[in-house]
Amino acid sequence: MNRSAIINKRAFSAAQDFILSTKTFWTIEIFSQLDKEKQTEEIEKTTTYKFFAWLERHLQRYKYSGRYGIYNFYNQQHEKIKSPPKNHKNLKLDPSIKLPKYYTQIDIHQHPGGLSKDKTAGYVYEHGARSTTPLGVRNHQDLHHRFTNSILASGNPKKILDMACGFGKSTQPFYKKIPEAKIIGIDLSEPCLTLGSSIARKDQASNVTYMQVNAEKTNFKNKQFDLVTSTMLLHELPPKSIKNIISEAHRILKPGGKMVHLDFYLLPDRFKRFIHFGHSKRNNEPYMVSFAKMDITGILKTLGFSNITIEPFEEADGVLDPEYQAWRFPWTLISAEKQ
Amino acid sequence: MNQNQPDEQIFFNDPALDRAFGVVMALATEVYVLKDRQTALERILSRNGLLDLELLDAEPSEEERLNSKSDREQFVYHLMQSLTGKQVSKG
Repeated sequence: MNRSAIINKRAFSAAQDFILSTKTFWTIEIFSQLDKEKQTEEIEKTTTYKFFAWLERHLQRYKYSGRYGIYNFYNQQHEKIKSPPKNHKNLKLDPSIKLPKYYTQIDIHQHPGGLSKDKTAGYVYEHGARSTTPLGVRNHQDLHHRFTNSILASGNPKKILDMACGFGKSTQPFYKKIPEAKIIGIDLSEPCLTLGSSIARKDQASNVTYMQVNAEKTNFKNKQFDLVTSTMLLHELPPKSIKNIISEAHRILKPGGKMVHLDFYLLPDRFKRFIHFGHSKRNNEPYMVSFAKMDITGILKTLGFSNITIEPFEEADGVLDPEYQAWRFPWTLISAEKQ
Repeated sequence: MNQNQPDEQIFFNDPALDRAFGVVMALATEVYVLKDRQTALERILSRNGLLDLELLDAEPSEEERLNSKSDREQFVYHLMQSLTGKQVSKG
């Protein structure tokens, strides 16, 4: 490929910054122009909503795809990217794993090819995850640290399972904050787990292991974890898989152990449901809708959990203020204890 | 481009606007990439004493503006000609 056809790092960075700035404008200026008091059918007819919806769909497309997309950039670097070693003791891959249909049938987040095969997929996902919350680039503590702090406020667990850990963004705060704990991160994605194990080695973390395991049916023994977590997992799953995961968490938790999921669930009014369900379609995350409609409290009670709390999660300072006008995910903390 | 790809979602009453706005956003990205590169180039040249930024930022002289008039008019004609809705060739 000649030099001019390769997207250099400056051009890639400038284009991605431009896309993120445009998304920030969308998040604050365009979203706040939608009339929340109108019926959703009326909102849908407005020109502002049409641009809102178009931009939500296509800014995500440009982020991942096309000339300046993350996917293209990392795949042009394909030859230069060395796959991290897969034989390290902190990484246990399962070449025979069967990937569920919900995982492969659609390119979640409009990430071309998804997370399952491509050796660059972990890097693409890691880059994409830097701007999951468009306003997150502003100076506030990362939401994963906030999530971890909220759990550790009631004591340090000794053995933790982080379900659907990806490249370990949600796992890192645990292994950094409680070095004496044993932490296992599981995920379906080989490229993400491989990247996660590489990051853990750079962090010189000896208390974490990444394993390629389906959270619906693990091989862990009964009653061995003090804490089971997931972040942004449940909304990607069909209801049956969600039930399986909660049931599996119950099986492997010690009595008195805690399960905490950070996800998108509480939608207290018509407008928030309308925006979130639209996002589900526009961002290729079809199960957001069915998850938001599930009776999670009922399922948790049926499976024998107690001390159930489902409450809004403040991913950045001030976002739960009723006066806060910008678009945001309906971040929700779902936690329960095994009796 | 794969012919079997499903149709993209449509948000506007006329799908032409969905597609055309995509072209606008792609061009806007390209403009910003060029702007960023030019700014970096100017900064590097200036730092190495090869460019006088004050001179570059100064208001152009009448002579300079006149010299670029023809090029500017051709650019505008090329940009706006489609809006007349007229054929350029017979047919």
